Amino acid sequence: MAAAQPNRLPRGGRIDRSRPLAFSFDGKALEGFAGDTLASALLAGGVSVLGRSFKLRRPRGIVGSGAEEPNAIMQIGEGATAQPNPPATQVPLHDGLTARSTRGWPGVRFDLGAVNGALGRMLGAGFYYKTFMWPRSWWKHYEHAIRKSAGFGRVPEGPDPDRYEHMNAHCDVLVAGGGPAGLMAALVAARSGARVILADEQNEFGGSLLASGARIDAAPASDWAAAAVVELRETQDCVLLPSSTVFGYHDHNFLTIAERCGPQGRGVRERLWRVRAKQVVLAQGSLERPLVFCNNDRPGVMLASAVSTYIQRYGVLPGRRAVVFTNNDSAYQAAINLAVAGAEVAAIVDSRAGGGGELAAGAQSLGIPVLKGHVVSDVAGRRRVAGARIARWEGRSWGTVKSTTRIDCDLVAVSGGWSPAVHLHSQAGGQLAWDPSKLCFLPAKARQANVSAGAGNGKWRLGECLADGLRAGVEALSEAGLKTAAVRAPDASADAEEKMIEPLWRVPAAKDADRCPMQFIDLQNDTTVADIRLAAREGYRNVEHVKRYTALGFGTDQGKLGNINGMAVLADTLGKPIADVGTTTFRPAYTPVSFGVCAGESTGPLYDPVRTSAIHEWHEAAGAPMETVGQWHRPWYFPQDGEDIQAAVARECLAVRNSLGVMDASTLGKIDARGPDALEFLERIYTHDVARMKVGRCAYGMMLGEDGMVMDDGVMARTAERGFYLTTTTGGAAAVLEWMEKWLQTEWPELEVYLTSLTDHYSTIAVAGPNSRKLLEKLGCDTPLDRERFAFMAMKPAVLAGMRVALFRVSFSGELAFEINIDSRHALDMWRTLMEAGKEFCITPYGTETMHVLRAEKGFIIAGQDTDGSVTPVDLGMKWLLSKEKDFLGKRSLERPDCLRDDRKQWVGLLAGDGRTVLPEGTQLVGDSGEAAPMCGHVTSSYFSACLGHPIALALVAGGRRRRGETIYAALPGRKPLPAQIVPPVFYDPKGKRQHV
Amino acid sequence: MSESAPPAGIAIRVRSARGFINLRLNPRNRQALEAAERVLGQQAPLSANTFTGGEHNLYWLGPDEWLIATGAQRASELARELAEALKDFHAAVNDVSGGNVELLVSGANASMVLAKGCPLDLHPRAFAPGQCAQTGLGRAAVLLAAVDPSTYAIVVRRSFARYLRRWLENADSAGVPFRAAGKRQQAGYRSSP
Amino acid sequence: MLLIECPWCGPRAETEFSYGGEAGIFRPADPHALSDAEWADYLFYRSNPRGTHRELWNHAQGCRRWFGVERDTVSYRIKRTYCLSGASGGQPDGSAGGLEAGSGKRR
Repeated sequence: MAAAQPNRLPRGGRIDRSRPLAFSFDGKALEGFAGDTLASALLAGGVSVLGRSFKLRRPRGIVGSGAEEPNAIMQIGEGATAQPNPPATQVPLHDGLTARSTRGWPGVRFDLGAVNGALGRMLGAGFYYKTFMWPRSWWKHYEHAIRKSAGFGRVPEGPDPDRYEHMNAHCDVLVAGGGPAGLMAALVAARSGARVILADEQNEFGGSLLASGARIDAAPASDWAAAAVVELRETQDCVLLPSSTVFGYHDHNFLTIAERCGPQGRGVRERLWRVRAKQVVLAQGSLERPLVFCNNDRPGVMLASAVSTYIQRYGVLPGRRAVVFTNNDSAYQAAINLAVAGAEVAAIVDSRAGGGGELAAGAQSLGIPVLKGHVVSDVAGRRRVAGARIARWEGRSWGTVKSTTRIDCDLVAVSGGWSPAVHLHSQAGGQLAWDPSKLCFLPAKARQANVSAGAGNGKWRLGECLADGLRAGVEALSEAGLKTAAVRAPDASADAEEKMIEPLWRVPAAKDADRCPMQFIDLQNDTTVADIRLAAREGYRNVEHVKRYTALGFGTDQGKLGNINGMAVLADTLGKPIADVGTTTFRPAYTPVSFGVCAGESTGPLYDPVRTSAIHEWHEAAGAPMETVGQWHRPWYFPQDGEDIQAAVARECLAVRNSLGVMDASTLGKIDARGPDALEFLERIYTHDVARMKVGRCAYGMMLGEDGMVMDDGVMARTAERGFYLTTTTGGAAAVLEWMEKWLQTEWPELEVYLTSLTDHYSTIAVAGPNSRKLLEKLGCDTPLDRERFAFMAMKPAVLAGMRVALFRVSFSGELAFEINIDSRHALDMWRTLMEAGKEFCITPYGTETMHVLRAEKGFIIAGQDTDGSVTPVDLGMKWLLSKEKDFLGKRSLERPDCLRDDRKQWVGLLAGDGRTVLPEGTQLVGDSGEAAPMCGHVTSSYFSACLGHPIALALVAGGRRRRGETIYAALPGRKPLPAQIVPPVFYDPKGKRQHV
Repeated sequence: MSESAPPAGIAIRVRSARGFINLRLNPRNRQALEAAERVLGQQAPLSANTFTGGEHNLYWLGPDEWLIATGAQRASELARELAEALKDFHAAVNDVSGGNVELLVSGANASMVLAKGCPLDLHPRAFAPGQCAQTGLGRAAVLLAAVDPSTYAIVVRRSFARYLRRWLENADSAGVPFRAAGKRQQAGYRSSP
Repeated sequence: MLLIECPWCGPRAETEFSYGGEAGIFRPADPHALSDAEWADYLFYRSNPRGTHRELWNHAQGCRRWFGVERDTVSYRIKRTYCLSGASGGQPDGSAGGLEAGSGKRR
């Protein structure tokens, strides 16, 4: 086991050494312990190169220990459950885990050094826009090669079998971050009786306390954290979310949290919390910055804090002989931790001439040499750091260094200072302020109900961090209008006295800055100092533009390490203060979020609601394929004996025309309109003269938007002096009701009308065909159905086959037809009764496709198919529907000059010249057969008419009505334009005799 | 999934033989309101998002709109009586018995299962028994009513009922985030003892 | 996601609402008396201010009421929501066409 984990310390760390876990990296078998992250286990196993860089193919190793990690981007697992691109630092180790480098090609171990050098010169700032844009047609080849070599993660193969879900939550105080400040804020909120949610991205609460040697209330800091967690866990209305990243801060204090629930394959894999918080405490800590020097990307160059974390929390020693390089005091702790853990610290290189404070004295007392006023200007080694080149620091970033001394080492621990994780504060619209002494952006004025605390608020020292967490908690409670329990801040062991950080944004090298390409700012994107300076020279001044030109801050880590250094270098180059250059905009997500957790449970059958009619089970049993119309599933056709759709539809069409068909039309929208002013209201809504309708009469009604365009249509009936029954299209039902209510409530509140949706209450069965009357008579109807006493477009309540119905004599097929509206609870009974009694007429159920063909043969429109929001009733040839007596919505617009043009697209019939091609719907129509002929319209509906024996189509054609008889051409992909003749849009029974019998 | 989490353990059942009436009238018209209440034999709730029980359940839907839930047999008769009593007023009475389905969801974890798809705050301090709300559940619109601390009534349009039932069963089968038995912090979603 | 205070139902998630455009657009009493330009102004032109915007929202998944909202288009902060009144096309006014928010209590 010792051989498997050469860098594991014999003791220490918060890992469970009794639970070894086997895992693999790039096929190599390795071992770690429960409590490890993939990163700590890889380091323990002595793996130092984890991939190659994005552009330059340079070997890269682990730099950080958390969300900031830019290099160790992994592919976890295989097949359908594979997870692309998590950083190894955020993957909890589990038994059997398989990890691969995402950035391996042409292999982590195979070095393409020579190629890299040559290629590197082509890959400077803006390389996407410059180098590969010529010749243009080659870009797709370049892009393929670049992407392959860049090698981001691979998309999982096959649908994800794992489960994800969403959870809505509400709280008084949401605390983001469970380090000292966050725990303190959560404690005071919980003790005050508030509803609290505490989320932390690590699997264990405590943050920096987990790797700290400090004491709180005389106990080890991690014990204090553990006790706080126990107390919170036992408090009413306090929800603890470990392994949960607060990744988005949206409007009105709505935050999104991604919870990683456990290894894949067990229960819910990830959960998305959608939290509405009265107040938010942001305690996400701060991120350590790297230092910028030559070859600062070599494996073995690590953040000093990460070195401490691996030693203290995971019992892993990341190097044997270390150089620590810093411009501030915090890195001395890493040096002390290294020395105590048994590593040799060859030197602490501190740029400050005066060196550090108390911690520095502590390090020196351990015998660690300190080089004040020096810098690391370069490192040796390719696949692993072999030595650091030390130079004197003259306080000038942009000169060159003359001479260096080499110190051999396998680890360079760096600290360039700390940047508060202000991401959520900024996402929420909060302002940032540059602190010239702490050298970082601090959260300033918040725009939403949030308060920042702890290291994320620039309070680095433990005592002030705890006190700041308490203050923030109290502030949040008071803003939420809650009483605050008396809570004192615990006593932290005294923080060491510190000396001030000094600015050190770029270390000079042997060559000048512009000829010195390997000083990395953004490791994930291979953005260097030279790139940023080049962007500035080429005229980019705005930090947002520089970001896009150099790719600084792109990628899965979103520049958590490099952004501030990049802005400082840009500021220096432009000769401006950093505060004036500012930061780029922070947007969700703070860390990458899986598609699975975004979708939640809304996949497969729950992707969108499937609405079904009361007769649906009959359709399913009959084997009807379903057509999705809005959210409804409607039977498309009813195949018999292995028929295909063409055969089934032809049979269904002929059955309706020759004898009897029956269709489930329940999905139509249905509205009861009632009240003293119902008539007046509908006069304004519909284009026809509603007042002329007597009780018991139906009319075809059309509604226009105020712009004069057709919005929706349907049969409406007058059921009483003051009552109407309106129907809408299936897809338009909800929108039409809302639109009518808008007019009623906002424009005409003086009208007394109540609108009530009856869409689901009534089912509608259309009985169509020459034998439809005979069928209803056979069933027994309490009202006479003959032509004289139940005329076309009449409506009557009736008792049919012993069931109460509303009977409409309307027709969407052009045949003698009735529509039966019946309480949905009895609809299936009625349907079965009709099917049984109709046998002698060969009753044929038909679906939406046949319904479409039948209405197209008659030239009836379908709003939303033959219209698209740019079509007026005049364009459709339906001027007869427009009242001359009254105003109605949209009427005035029909007189706008554009609506009066005679070359508007008009609705016409179209017959394919070859007599057999069914033109695809949407086909573009052109005026002549030439190659560059201008488009003059498109096909809106197209079918094969079994009844007529040839295809028919409906189309919108510029000036179409006066071009009847002309030939135009259908542009078909891969074929010569097909001639087609413009004809009137009614193909069958143009006089409309059949429906009147 | 190779292993599945234990389900949340809620009970989902359709309340059978229910009838529904949609009632519209302006409650400022005292005569109309009282005429309706005489027929109903109980007061209509005037506070937003509440319901009253009795022979029928009367749910507030809007400032001039209620849903009356009652026995299926009683509904059509009641609708006729209401229409008759209100014929001289501006009012609308619609029997919508065929258009709605009522589900009862119950169990200690009921509110947590509903919270997976409902944006309302279901904490008992925010949504106590006697309160109701029209809101979203999953991707369907519903009328949600708190019957007692662990029981909710859900009235949904008939065409959405199959989907909603499936959604609820799926949410139940995925379990709940906090399962440590007896731990009181689960009460984030439960009533206080 | 916005949190919108329905004047009747209280604060609810944005997903329960639908947006209805700028408030205070009046339908002309006699559209046919208007010139094409005047009609186009009513039909197409909206103020799109930076700052306070009065707009219509419908509590579509709730009480189906249309109401007015004053929202800051920069901060998205909602200053207030209000019931609509008679024939005002969304002018703030308490009379609410005979229905008031919180008309709840039985008098």
